[in-house]
Amino acid sequence: MARKVKMKRARKTKADPVVTEIVRNGVIAVTEEMKTNLMRTAYNIIIYEALDFTTGLFTAEGETVSIGIGLPMFIRGMAETVKAKIKHFGRKNIKPGDIYVTNDSYLTGSHLNHVTLTLPIFHKGSLVGFSCCMAHWLDIGGTLGGMTTDIFSEGLQIPILKLHDRGKANETLIDVIKQNMRLPSRAMGDLRAQITAVKTGERRFLELVDRYGRDQVLRAIKAIMDHSEAMARARTRSIPDGVYQAESYMDDDGIEIGKKVPIKVRVIVKGDEMTVDLSEVSRQVRGFYNSGVTTGYACSQVAYKCLTSPTDYPINDGSFRSLKAIVPPGRIISAVRPAPMRWWMTYPMTIVDTVFKALAPVIPDRVIAGHHADLLIAALHGINPKTSEFFLANFGPLGGGWGAKRSEDGVSATVCINDGDTHNGPSEQSEVKFPIVVERYALVPDSGGAGRHRGGLGVERVVRARVPMTFNTQVERAHCRPWGLNGGGDASGNEVALRIDGRWKTDFPNAKVLVAMLKPGDAFRLRSGGGGGYGLPLDRPATDVAADVEQGYISLAAAKELYGVVLDPQTFAVDVAATERLRASLRGSPLRRQA
Amino acid sequence: MAPGQLRLAADIGGTFTDIAVFDDKTGALTFGKALSTPSHLVEGISAGVAKAGSDYRAAALFLHGSTVAINTMLERTGAKAALLITEGFRDIYEIGRINRPDAYNLFFQKHVPLIERALRFEVTERMLADGEIDTPLDDAEIAALGNELERRGVEAAAILFLNCYANADHERRAKAILEKNHPALFVSASHELSQEYREFERCATVAANAYIGPKVRRYIGEIDAHMRAAGFAGSFLVVQSTGGLYEADQAQSQCVRMLESGPAAGVIGTQALCRALKIDNAIAFDMGGTTAKAGVIYRGEALTTGAALIGGYERALPVQIAMMDIFEVSAGGGSIARVDDGALRLGPQSAGASPGPACYGLGGTEPTVTDANLVLGRLGADRFLGGEMKLDAASAERALKSRIGDPLGLSAVEAADGILRIATTAMSYAVKGVTTERGFDAGDFVLFAYGGAGPLHAVEVAREIGMRKVIVPPAPGVFSASGMLFSDLRYDFVRTWFTSLDDAPFDDMEEVYRALERQGRDAIAGTSVKPQRIEIKRAADMRYVGQEHAVTVDLPMTVFARKDRKAIKRHFDAMHAQRYGTSAPEEHAEVVSLRSTVTGLMRKPPQAKLARGRRTPPKAAFGGKRPVYYAGRFHSTPTYRRAALLAGNRIKGPALIEEYASTTVLMPGDALDVDQFGNLVIAVAGGR
Repeated sequence: MARKVKMKRARKTKADPVVTEIVRNGVIAVTEEMKTNLMRTAYNIIIYEALDFTTGLFTAEGETVSIGIGLPMFIRGMAETVKAKIKHFGRKNIKPGDIYVTNDSYLTGSHLNHVTLTLPIFHKGSLVGFSCCMAHWLDIGGTLGGMTTDIFSEGLQIPILKLHDRGKANETLIDVIKQNMRLPSRAMGDLRAQITAVKTGERRFLELVDRYGRDQVLRAIKAIMDHSEAMARARTRSIPDGVYQAESYMDDDGIEIGKKVPIKVRVIVKGDEMTVDLSEVSRQVRGFYNSGVTTGYACSQVAYKCLTSPTDYPINDGSFRSLKAIVPPGRIISAVRPAPMRWWMTYPMTIVDTVFKALAPVIPDRVIAGHHADLLIAALHGINPKTSEFFLANFGPLGGGWGAKRSEDGVSATVCINDGDTHNGPSEQSEVKFPIVVERYALVPDSGGAGRHRGGLGVERVVRARVPMTFNTQVERAHCRPWGLNGGGDASGNEVALRIDGRWKTDFPNAKVLVAMLKPGDAFRLRSGGGGGYGLPLDRPATDVAADVEQGYISLAAAKELYGVVLDPQTFAVDVAATERLRASLRGSPLRRQA
Repeated sequence: MAPGQLRLAADIGGTFTDIAVFDDKTGALTFGKALSTPSHLVEGISAGVAKAGSDYRAAALFLHGSTVAINTMLERTGAKAALLITEGFRDIYEIGRINRPDAYNLFFQKHVPLIERALRFEVTERMLADGEIDTPLDDAEIAALGNELERRGVEAAAILFLNCYANADHERRAKAILEKNHPALFVSASHELSQEYREFERCATVAANAYIGPKVRRYIGEIDAHMRAAGFAGSFLVVQSTGGLYEADQAQSQCVRMLESGPAAGVIGTQALCRALKIDNAIAFDMGGTTAKAGVIYRGEALTTGAALIGGYERALPVQIAMMDIFEVSAGGGSIARVDDGALRLGPQSAGASPGPACYGLGGTEPTVTDANLVLGRLGADRFLGGEMKLDAASAERALKSRIGDPLGLSAVEAADGILRIATTAMSYAVKGVTTERGFDAGDFVLFAYGGAGPLHAVEVAREIGMRKVIVPPAPGVFSASGMLFSDLRYDFVRTWFTSLDDAPFDDMEEVYRALERQGRDAIAGTSVKPQRIEIKRAADMRYVGQEHAVTVDLPMTVFARKDRKAIKRHFDAMHAQRYGTSAPEEHAEVVSLRSTVTGLMRKPPQAKLARGRRTPPKAAFGGKRPVYYAGRFHSTPTYRRAALLAGNRIKGPALIEEYASTTVLMPGDALDVDQFGNLVIAVAGGR
């Protein structure tokens, strides 16, 4: 009898698989609708086109239930912020009608432009979770363009504060914010959009709770997270135990030009757990490429999710219970106050790629070769003579090449891993809004690393100024080119060039140009790198090489020199005999890398 | 109008060709259903016409919707096509919007252009955003390119020049040169399809048109020739993705406008029913084997959108033309349920028609939504397709038990019940996709259910969302075909025209609208039917200054007559508030694009009336009882034959109403009335 009672109780607390699936679809729908509402109401292109935002639902303890991406690298930023807000106010002081705000860089791990709103969700008087939304504001005050060397020059810092206190807006705070913004009306528009988003999350989550009951829904959420954990552990178990390492570097910190910033990662796999040790990545730097420890954790989580549960939705904290990250303070991804953070997003991408590189020897079928790993953003500002108004135009992200895999070629012209469903802006729109002409937006042939599977191609964009304006760009990875794997060639790196008085200047020491003046007719060009190749180029079927030449993805010369394939320049037919001879002789020589 | 008194409507789907025939003189509406014949689709049409007891000679009007355009695009069976594009932009079609929807998937995929890079040619020319010429077009270069295309055996050419919305002269000239020199070449210029900014989307649109063009042109030509040979002397009109009609020869050059003709016609049918029943707001809910689709009727009008993505989000190709605003989820009768590491999941995989659900007995072993419906008694094993196809309940039960029940510790029946509950929420997202996400309260809408599986699930979907009324029209299985009979001639135009509202020059704006409307009137004048009258509607895509995304705002003609900026602003603020829950009346607004819809109203067939009966259905309608599962157990539940029901009949749930290709499910508390047109009008119990 006793046993029977126990069974009954166990069943009572066990989540119903049907309700669990309904709640799973439900929470995904909630964060997606938050996303839709934010995007459509937002005032700036970075939110609407670049999708530089993230929405989410969290448990009452601040654990991630579902994230609407947004910005893949911001996978931790909101959860840490929610937890900090709970701690800051104390759970008993969290009231219905509150909305909390902060843009504390050392908390979100990113830059001050990331303003994060959190709304506690109450059901019949008890706290059942949080609805949260981060969005990138176009301007947050601070120095315009150029380099920063501390956080104070980067704009307004908003500590954890109440934006709404039990339904009442904090007008004092709003006045302070407005006073510090170059574009206060845009900022207020974005803030309104964020409020809409968190309120949407609250309303829709409560509908789920009302429909299926609080306990059922919370049990289902627990079951979803447990399931994600089980999936991640199973996938981790399939990686052989061991300690794996890899190195790479960033070009420089923008201040000490040419001084490499070393990156070294260790990955320890044991049973169904993984540890990503980032102790040996570089100390924080003087230039603004630092990020906070939250981003150190995010690097580990992004790499881990890609390898263990890439398509498990909703994105939730269950997937990361089997992951440990070692991130001591004071590194480039765990910088401490007052380190400058404005360009937080660049370095972490290379760290993620380096984790893949470390694991390439043991799970060659699950990793990719290096990618272009930069947003390749350019900013222009000036005064539009037609309207006499100040304009700030952000160009980018540009998209670039992605690494090849053991089973397929790399993808061309796609946004880097920091970003996800981010769109570029139409050239036709830029030309209406700003006094510029886009002269070229095109793939760069031969930019992908050669290999049995070829890396994806990079992209170039050339933009001509029609009035005097100031150009700024902060591109990395000009020197540390996206690497190939398992004999695959490296891709070309990221590049910047300026056309001044009709002559191209390309001899920059890196790809960072801070404050260059363009006259009418002058132009800038950003060129993204390709993706690394996978496997030996000499093993690529000659017909695939011929097709690449016919389509113009690689040149006739590259076909011959890197792939050992001889083609008829008119018909692109493979000269089989000549190709066999050339390949035989190339196989005899040491592996040739792409020049 | 030509001799003959019949209107024929033919909707070609993947499996069936549905025919609806309306006799103008007698008012009779008949239907025919025949298997589609993919290799020679016209045979399916003729077979269906014969089955409906009709003849081409007696027809004054032939209305046609088809999946030929969309299938050519999705199955990649189009022409060898080339793209001529502004210098420097050869790759924009391949670069696309650079987005990566599956954020953590290293094995993500990207869209694949319909025109390979080797056939994308750059042209020395450049327009600026204000229509000023930066680099003039060289006619000789186009002529040389034309020869190159011919040498390479290209069948179709698409032309995309930057900023052509501001000045289409270069595109027009290039097209004229190609057409003059190469009369067999199918040539399409982007401004003919869309004069809206966004070069990638416009490029993908014109490329799709060129790619599917030769095949669609041939297809329509074949049908026309076949019908004319059989004595047809009437007008041949094709349904566009907006649900509006255009002349067959227009469809032969602007093929991309008919991509979604079938689904759109269903929404038009719903709109017509709404008008007859005096219903303002409705959802058109269409559920078939693989998907559930929802469209919206708001204040009596079917809602359209300016662009859509074709073929799955990640690898989608955009099409930037007016289309019915339809939201689709992968949940249909064939959706497969599975257990994934202890979690119950439904779809998106579908068993399709072959092997089909386990109960079809065609080799399918995986449990589907249809299997769940059968095991729960909602479908009758011997009543499917009027009994023409026997369903195998034992196979369904076996699949449910072994694949779902055993791993989760459930019986086959519990598994089936769970699958339907999940399916209901999944389908409710299709409806939410077009209501709540557009700022509507679904509770204010009536759900019209059709498609083979729509009526099976409609009442529960409605209950899930909080809708109070469901209507199942007569012959829901061929609803798209009958919907076509209620279409109007329609031409949609858009022109990007950036200006701030505060100093928008009304005279210039009027000129743009008039130019668009002139095109529409000319197009209507060029069709072979005479509409009763022409109706013009204007709208503008607007946003607050600084915003990127614009919303389409319908604007009454009076605001233009009065040059009333404030009224335009008020319409915009209201629209913004409706869709997004907020507005900013103190902020300034700008106009992005001007839209005009020119409609040639056609005479509609009247809704046929059903003989009147009493409150209690006639005895002949009663089809016996069978056990149906709900509320935790099987209940003996009455079934009715729809064909025998009379107007005024009332049926209280639980009950099943069965007809040839569909079954309507009523649960306890639901009440059904048969209205004067034979619609099943259901009051949903517990609608929130």
